[in-house]
Amino acid sequence: MTFPPSRIGMVCPYGWDTPGGVQIHIKELAEHFIALGHYVSVIAPVSDESTIAEPWLVSAGRPLAVPFNGSVARVAFGPVATSRVRQWIASNEFDLLHLHQPEVPSLSLIACWSAEGPMVGTFHTASSKQRTLVAAGPILEPIIEKLTARIAVSEMARETLREHFETDAVVIPNGLDTSKYSAAQRLDKWSYGPTIGFLGRFEEPRKGLSVLLEALPFLMKKNPKLRLLIAGPGDSEKVLKNVPSALRTRIEFLGRLTEREKADFLKSVTIYVAPNTGGESFGIILTEAMAAGATIVASDIPAFSEVLQSGECGALFASEDPHSLARVIEGLLVDAERREVLSHSGIESADKYDWKNVATQISDVYEIALASGAGVSLASENRPWKRFRTIE
Amino acid sequence: MLFAWYLSFSATRLDRLHHRVETSWEHLDALLQRRAALALEIAHHNDLDPALDMLLTASAYESREAPMTDRDEAESLLSESLRMIRESVAAGDIQIKVALIDRLGDITEKIRVAISIHREAVTAVENLRSKRIFKVFHLAGRAKLPFRYSFEDDQL
Repeated sequence: MTFPPSRIGMVCPYGWDTPGGVQIHIKELAEHFIALGHYVSVIAPVSDESTIAEPWLVSAGRPLAVPFNGSVARVAFGPVATSRVRQWIASNEFDLLHLHQPEVPSLSLIACWSAEGPMVGTFHTASSKQRTLVAAGPILEPIIEKLTARIAVSEMARETLREHFETDAVVIPNGLDTSKYSAAQRLDKWSYGPTIGFLGRFEEPRKGLSVLLEALPFLMKKNPKLRLLIAGPGDSEKVLKNVPSALRTRIEFLGRLTEREKADFLKSVTIYVAPNTGGESFGIILTEAMAAGATIVASDIPAFSEVLQSGECGALFASEDPHSLARVIEGLLVDAERREVLSHSGIESADKYDWKNVATQISDVYEIALASGAGVSLASENRPWKRFRTIE
Repeated sequence: MLFAWYLSFSATRLDRLHHRVETSWEHLDALLQRRAALALEIAHHNDLDPALDMLLTASAYESREAPMTDRDEAESLLSESLRMIRESVAAGDIQIKVALIDRLGDITEKIRVAISIHREAVTAVENLRSKRIFKVFHLAGRAKLPFRYSFEDDQL
């Protein structure tokens, strides 16, 4: 389904110049809709406005690093951010607003509160601290109610939404440009071995590298030529300290990879392992690995098992259990045929995460939200002059 | 004989310092609780933007309800949000009852003093306990080393 060219405003809650899944999602979504002939403007917190490369991006001021939900979020709030959001809404005459993570105390929440008209909200995270929600619920509920339609990026995100806000959502996964990954090359330097690949900030405990390292002695003994390749930023010395010295020569650190290298890496390694122990709402990295045709071994946390269709597009092992991990990897190392089967079904089901399909689903939601015909305007109940009523 | 006297003297000294850390912390904690209550009052009485309102309410709630181990983050967040409120009031971007702002300035000043007194007490205990005689003779008993919270570094 398509709808006539419209003016779409998207709101990003997190600092635009810090890397993150939500930012990438919004960037690619915006580019996709611009290519379809719509007018798109994105507002986001920006630390350094001179680095903005996108003509459609508007800065809402500098983000503040705020400890939130167990990690540090770079968000914007306060009177300056609020007036920039208001001004952006007032001057753009949008037909529709698309708010990302409106439950996070940042721009999307402010926009939802400030605006009236068709609004779509996308919920990316799976869980929030209970105490925060108990306190913030009464503030959030009446604002989130204003959304015309809600999107959750995974079944888990939808479940959280149902539990905490008693509202349902359409599940539409994060998008992916599969052509980037299907064009990837298999490189000898990363495939000779066989090789096991790990990708990500390996110092973060929840990425689960320690589980893989525990499984390593067994695997290395069985396969004398096996190499472990670790890609991603972090301090390699700290990791090697916990590894038996005989195995250290067979671990290589590749540092941070470019997007292109990442695709080649995923395509090249014999087995790609994602031993994450939790904290994932959607396995974007798994969809990328699937699109690249990697043979995937992942922990059976709900988000991963959902993306891998309970093991159809990649093998699952019991999360945090190195013995289970070693068994699954070993089983695949000796079975080239099974690896081929997994890789194929991975490539096939990665297609549903491609932007052409994901954006169509989002279009459908936009169309429903746009049906009322009224555009977006500033909400009347919080015009600035109203503020003075509480002053004494 | 002289040595025994010295040991007992040192143990008493340490005990006194430990006690000082406890009182200075209790004083600081009481002030932090008052700040949290004030933050809730500010959040309720003014139409701040919902993001700031949410951060203020959630961290004030956390400060009052959460066990101390989880409170560090909340206190930092509270310091940060309240600093933004005071700056915004000074810049004329938001209006808040003068009485509330006065109380906020007052309590912030008191917390600043309380933190420096508490830190000084903690440092004194740490210095004393790092001496060998305290380790060899277990003069501290099973008393835990006083803990430093990162919110103590916040700019208030």
